[in-house]
Amino acid sequence: MPFKWTSIILVLGLFAASMTRADGSKKPTLESIGDQVMCLCGCVATLNHCPHRDCATVAEIRPIIEKEIAEGKDETTILQDLAIRFGVRVLAAPPARGFSLTAWILPGVGLLAGLSFVVVIARRWRKPAPVAVGVPAKPLDPKLLAAVEEERKASGLGTGG
Amino acid sequence: MNQLGSVGLIAALAFAAFAVGAGVIGGKLRSLRVVRSAERATLAFFAMVTVAVFALEYLILTNDFHNAYVAAHSNRDLFTFYKVAALWAGQEGSLLFWTWLLSIYSALAVLLNRKKNRQLMPYVVAVLMGTGAFFSSLVLFVANPFQELSLASPTGIQPFTPPDGSGLNPLLQYHSMVIHPPMLYLGYVGMVVPFAFAMAALITRQLGDNWIRTTRRWTMVPWMLLGLGILLGGNWAYAVLGWGGYWGWDPVENASLLPWLSGTAFLHSVMIQEKRGMLKVWNVVLVITTFFLSIFGTFLTRSGIVSSVHAFAQSNIGPFFAVFLSIIIFFSVTLLFLRLDHLKSENKLDSLVSRESGFLFNNWILLALVFAVLWGTLFPLISKAVQDVSVTVGAPFFNKTAIPMGLLLLFLTGAGPLLAWRKTSFQSLKRNFLVPLIIAGASGAILLIAGVRHFYAWMTLVLSIFVGVCILGEFWKGARTRMKTAGENFAQALYNLTMQNTRRYGGYVVHLGIVLLFIGFAGLAFKTHAKGLMQEGDLLRVKNYLLRCDGLVNGDTPNYEYTRALITVTKNGHAFASVHPEKRFYKASQQPTSYVSIHPTLAEDLYVVLSGLDQDTGKAVIEVFVNPLVMWVWIGGVVVFLGTLLALVPSRVEREMAEIRRTQEMAVQANDAI
Repeated sequence: MPFKWTSIILVLGLFAASMTRADGSKKPTLESIGDQVMCLCGCVATLNHCPHRDCATVAEIRPIIEKEIAEGKDETTILQDLAIRFGVRVLAAPPARGFSLTAWILPGVGLLAGLSFVVVIARRWRKPAPVAVGVPAKPLDPKLLAAVEEERKASGLGTGG
Repeated sequence: MNQLGSVGLIAALAFAAFAVGAGVIGGKLRSLRVVRSAERATLAFFAMVTVAVFALEYLILTNDFHNAYVAAHSNRDLFTFYKVAALWAGQEGSLLFWTWLLSIYSALAVLLNRKKNRQLMPYVVAVLMGTGAFFSSLVLFVANPFQELSLASPTGIQPFTPPDGSGLNPLLQYHSMVIHPPMLYLGYVGMVVPFAFAMAALITRQLGDNWIRTTRRWTMVPWMLLGLGILLGGNWAYAVLGWGGYWGWDPVENASLLPWLSGTAFLHSVMIQEKRGMLKVWNVVLVITTFFLSIFGTFLTRSGIVSSVHAFAQSNIGPFFAVFLSIIIFFSVTLLFLRLDHLKSENKLDSLVSRESGFLFNNWILLALVFAVLWGTLFPLISKAVQDVSVTVGAPFFNKTAIPMGLLLLFLTGAGPLLAWRKTSFQSLKRNFLVPLIIAGASGAILLIAGVRHFYAWMTLVLSIFVGVCILGEFWKGARTRMKTAGENFAQALYNLTMQNTRRYGGYVVHLGIVLLFIGFAGLAFKTHAKGLMQEGDLLRVKNYLLRCDGLVNGDTPNYEYTRALITVTKNGHAFASVHPEKRFYKASQQPTSYVSIHPTLAEDLYVVLSGLDQDTGKAVIEVFVNPLVMWVWIGGVVVFLGTLLALVPSRVEREMAEIRRTQEMAVQANDAI
């Protein structure tokens, strides 16, 4: 039992660790920000992946990012500034606030709800543990045992002969 | 030909409608004659859709630009290879192609079940042809590929034939794009067969193991083809879109992944029903979900409700799909509720640490992944509807939500098959997991020492090693046992072991393929990128590669004009490769596109793109990506494909069981006849 729960906790711990371990602490670069910002020219790609050469949107947004990196701003601040300037649709992922927070929360909620469902189902389906049949034997009456032994000897049973 | 195609479609719709009616009536009256007529109508449906498909292909191949579809998606100088593919390049043609594949699956289902599943077949036919009727009416009335061009003139409306067509979208003129859509469609469409069997089983209350046994192969084939289609789509995106990646969590990519994930869940949970008589309701739910998601994927791709770089065929067919999806849900869920009493579990769970639990957890992760991907894909629509704010949900969101789930799934890929049915003892756990855990732990330490600091990549590689050792250990243990008991050498033992139980060992091969895929995914974390302007004699350094431009060449083909960069690459100072990226300009469609030059190796791909020419200097804009481990993604995909093929081969045990079942069925039929 402890092994089972230790395994489950270990696996979930691993999962939680990997969820929380985002790359937020890294120093921003044009490349890293470019992967998190959408190009708004209609190409449905991020700034780094816009297939259009001389794209006006890329040409407009890239210098802003470069300037803010040079000013020493962190990734979150740069992304916030871009969202203020171009609207939240410029972000490749929805901001974790307001209604958009549900975008981030619900997958986790779904995962946990699914886990609870699986555990509940598994418990409901579990066979009851085998129960010992009958009652513990009471010590037999010595008088009765002696009588049986006497009878056995008298009848010659169990003597081997 | 246009008339022939239209007549074919009208006849197909009529046969489909007849098959639905005859199937239901024949099933209700238990009339063999009526049921047989429904089955023959299904074959006729296939024949008529085939006529329509050949009519359209004929029009494309003969450059009949009087046909609006041909004029919009082909041109005279298009290679024949791509002309064939023009059939599925646009909305109308691809819906016709969809209908044709459906008709092939339906005809096969009828022909392969002439003597089997007789009670189910009337309703199987009805469901298949109900879907057929929907698609053929869509092709006939909403997106007809046989419309002719005309011009309004003072004398009235005149037929019009342009001298040449607009051509195939340049992005689609790539070899894997020719087979990618057919594979994807075969995957999507094929999910209708398991759904039809599930519905027939619910209607007839024949909810034993029979429908499950029958549908397993019918699910594995489309699942395999869908996987192959996704892989080919990735290969196309990698080689054509020129951004250095193969998966961008685009809505259309996600739409293809969703039914593959739920189909994977079904292929696992079906084993619990077969072995233990459990999860009966769940299996029906998974079949419904998979079919629903297949149609939903088609709807998402074509309705234009989400923006995508992959959507080449959008129109106003969304509402029709929405109605069809509602009918599927209403019909199947109602049936499921009505039959809940017949879907009771036959067994109980003996232990939480067992193969059954492993499958339950696997299903949990897969469905959670389906939910996360679906939610992320639809969130922009939901946000617009609820708060009137346009948001984008792209790769950063999916990477944060789906990767952790993928890692859990990877862990289960190795751990699940090592758990015993019913109950796994602590000793057995120790015996099976100790060596893989030690090797994975040691490898993790070595990777850290070697400088792998990216958490996801490190975790993926460690788990891949764990799972790989677990699976290879299963082969090793099984073969060794055979070597001892049957006196076979290792190769013989391995072969016989695999052929004895193709399903189990085919499954292990699939899992190995998944491990290779994940190893390839881990490589994404170590991607390197550089960009520079180049002309003859210019150098560009990326990692340990040095690129030297030997010149720019301009050329012309009947189909496109191009500028090609001739680049020589040295690696660590030694001659390595020559790469020739191109910028093409397609004449018919007047669209530019990049032709990426890739030099692949097992360790990493050198990926070179000519993005364009700098207007001020006239130099080529060269982008270079060094993408580690990408080759393993393609190898992993092929291994998954081969493993599924292996699992489809009937094993010795299965053949014997099938023979016994056939004898029993014949005995029952003979008894009924008496």
